[in-house]
Amino acid sequence: MSDAFALFLRASLVENLALAYFLGMCMFLAVSRRLGTAFGFGLVVFIVQAVTVPLNHLIFTALLRSGAWSWAGLPEVDLGFLRLLTFVGVIAAFVQVLELVLDRYFPVLASSFGVYLPLVTVNCALLGGSLFMVERHYDLAQSVVYGAGSGFGWALALCLLAALREKLAYSDVPEGLRGIGITFMVAGLLSLAFLGFAGIELR
Amino acid sequence: MAEPTGPRTGWRRLRDLPDDSPRKTVIVTLAVCLFCSALVAGSVVWLRPHQLAHREREREARLLALAAAVPGLEGMVSGLGEAEVTARVVDLDTGRAAEGIDPDTFDAQEEARDPERSRELDPEVDLARIGRRPRHATVYMVRERGDLRLIVLPVYGAGYASTLRGFLALAADTNTIRGIGIYEQGETPGIGDQVQDPAWLAHWPGKLLRDETGALRIRVAKERIDPRDPEASFAVEGISGATRTGAGVTRIVRFWTGPLGFGPFLARIREEES
Amino acid sequence: MSPGPAAPTPLRALWRPLVDENPVALQVLGVCSALAVTRSLATALLMSAAVIAVLAGSSALISALRHWIPRQVRLILEITIIASLVTVVDQVLAAFFWDLSRELSVFVGLIVTNCILLGRAESFALAQPVHLSVLDGIGNGLGYAAVLVLVGSVRELLGRGELLGHTVLATADSGGWFQPVGLMLLPPSAFFLIGTLVWALRSARPPEKGEGP
Repeated sequence: MSDAFALFLRASLVENLALAYFLGMCMFLAVSRRLGTAFGFGLVVFIVQAVTVPLNHLIFTALLRSGAWSWAGLPEVDLGFLRLLTFVGVIAAFVQVLELVLDRYFPVLASSFGVYLPLVTVNCALLGGSLFMVERHYDLAQSVVYGAGSGFGWALALCLLAALREKLAYSDVPEGLRGIGITFMVAGLLSLAFLGFAGIELR
Repeated sequence: MAEPTGPRTGWRRLRDLPDDSPRKTVIVTLAVCLFCSALVAGSVVWLRPHQLAHREREREARLLALAAAVPGLEGMVSGLGEAEVTARVVDLDTGRAAEGIDPDTFDAQEEARDPERSRELDPEVDLARIGRRPRHATVYMVRERGDLRLIVLPVYGAGYASTLRGFLALAADTNTIRGIGIYEQGETPGIGDQVQDPAWLAHWPGKLLRDETGALRIRVAKERIDPRDPEASFAVEGISGATRTGAGVTRIVRFWTGPLGFGPFLARIREEES
Repeated sequence: MSPGPAAPTPLRALWRPLVDENPVALQVLGVCSALAVTRSLATALLMSAAVIAVLAGSSALISALRHWIPRQVRLILEITIIASLVTVVDQVLAAFFWDLSRELSVFVGLIVTNCILLGRAESFALAQPVHLSVLDGIGNGLGYAAVLVLVGSVRELLGRGELLGHTVLATADSGGWFQPVGLMLLPPSAFFLIGTLVWALRSARPPEKGEGP
C-alpha cells in the first residue's frame, strides 16, 4: 500500500508530467488563463489519463509486447513498435466516448468544456503517460496508480499556473513578455519549486 | 470515340464523390491504413537486424566500460591469451552455478519482474530498495593462466533520485575491492552524478568489504577520511552535496555483498579457492 | 492560423515559418518536446532532424491526399499518417543512432502529438499543393529546430562547458576557470530560456493586434 502511495506521490509531484517533463505544455499555456477553465480541463485530463494508462497497459501486455502471442504458437512476435498508433487510437476513442457520455448525461458540463474536449486527444501528457508506463515496465496495479497520479499532478500544475496567472493580471509585465513569455517564466519558477519534492521517501 | 476508362478515371470518380458518401470514406480509410501498415511493417522488418546489433554492442560496451573503470582490469582483459573472462549465471540463494541458463540470453531485470522467478524482499532487509530480487544473476570471473584474479558482480539499487546500476570488481580473496564502475544513473546533475565520474570511482580500489570478524564495514563516508585511521580501509570518501547518493551506493554495495546478494556465491568461491 | 489568401511562393513558404511565424516562439506550438530534449546539443539536433523529416513527410502525404480525404474522418486519418511516419522515424533512429535515441526515450514517440504537425496539416497541407506543403513543412521544422538548437547549445554550454560533447569552456573540476551553471541541466532552465527567447522575438517583431496577454 505504501508502495502505491509512494508511486502516486512520485508521479504527481517529483516527476510531474508538466513541470519536470514539459508534457502537455501547448494546451497548458492556452488553457491556464482562468482557474475555472483550468480546473475543468485538468479534470478531463485526469479522468482520461487514469483510464487510458491501465487500458493501454492491458492492450500492450495482451497484444503488443514481445512474447504476447506465445499462446498462439508465435513466441517470437514483438509488436511493440505499434504502440504509438495503438495508444493514440485508444486515447482518441476514449475521449470520443467521454464526449458522448458527457453530452448525454451532463450537458451543462459538456458545453463548459466546449472545444477543449476534442483537443485533449493530442495532449502529449496523455500519450507520454502511456509511453512511460511501457518504458518503466509497470504492472497493472502500478499503471492504475501511475495514471491517476500523473493525471492528478498535471491537473494540479495547471491549476497552480492558472491561479498565478490570474494574480499576474494586475502586474506590470513588460511588453514583450506579456502572455506567453511571462507564463513560461512563472512555469519555470513552479518547476523549480517542484524540484524540491525530489528525494522524499516514505517509510 | 470510346469513353476513357481505366484506373485513372476510377480514382477521379472516387475523388469526385461527395464527402459524406460512405463508399468514399471506407475506401479511402482502408487505402490509407494499408499504406501506413506497409510503411511501418516494412521499415521495422528492414531495420530490426541493425537494432539487434546495437543491443549486442551495448552489452559488450558495458563490459568494456567496466574494464575501463577498474584499474588493471583493462590491461589484463585486452592482453590476448593472458586473461580469460567467463560469464556464469549463478543461483543467488545457493551460490551455485545455475544449470541450463545461457549467460548470453539471460536478462536479470526481466527475471526480477517475474513473480515466479524472483522473490519479494522485506523492507527491513531490502537495503538496496529494489523490491524484488531475481533468483539468478550473471557473474564474470577473470582468470589469468587459470588463476582467479577478479570477480565482477553486477549491482544495482536505489540512489537518491534514480536507480544506480554498475559493476563491483573484487579480488580473488572476495574481500578486497579492485574497483567499481557505475554505468547508469539519474542523479542530480553536477552533484550526485559524480558517482559515475572516474575521479570519484578511483577512491574505491583497495578498500575492504569486511573486517576480521566478518562484519560488513564498507561505506561511503560523509566526512573526510584520514588515511592513517585504521577505519580508512573500509571508508570511501563521499561526494560533497550528495550524501544521499553516497548512502545509496553504500546500501547497494552492502546488499549485494551480503547474505541476500552474492554472499553465498562469494562464500563458495572462498571454499573452492582455498 | 488561417491560410494566406493566395498560395505563397516557394521561397516564402520556406522562409515565413522560420522567423515571421516561428512555430515555437510565436505560435507556441510543439513546445512540449522542445524543452525536454534540450539538455544537450546532440539530442536537440537529432530531435530536430526527426521532426523535420516527419513534418515534410506528413505535409507531403496529406497534401497529396487532400482531395480524397473526407471531412469527417480527416482528423483520424491525419493522426494515423503522422503516427506511422513517427514510428518509422523512431525505428530508423534506433537502428542508426542507438545511444542518442535511448536518451531521447519517449520523446520521439511524442512527436505524434506535437501540435505543429496537426497545425500545419490543418492550416496548410489540406489546401496547398504538394511541393509547397513540403516546403512549408520543412520551413516549420527548421523554425522548430532553430529554437531547439539555440536552447540546447546554451544549456549544454553553460551547464557542462561542452558542445556536442567537446569541451569548450574548461570546467573548474578539470582545472579550468569555468564554474558550470548546474541549473542549466535541470528542467526549469528550459522554461526560463524559452521565456527569454519569446521576449526577445516579440520585442523585435511585435505580434499583430488580437493576441492579447
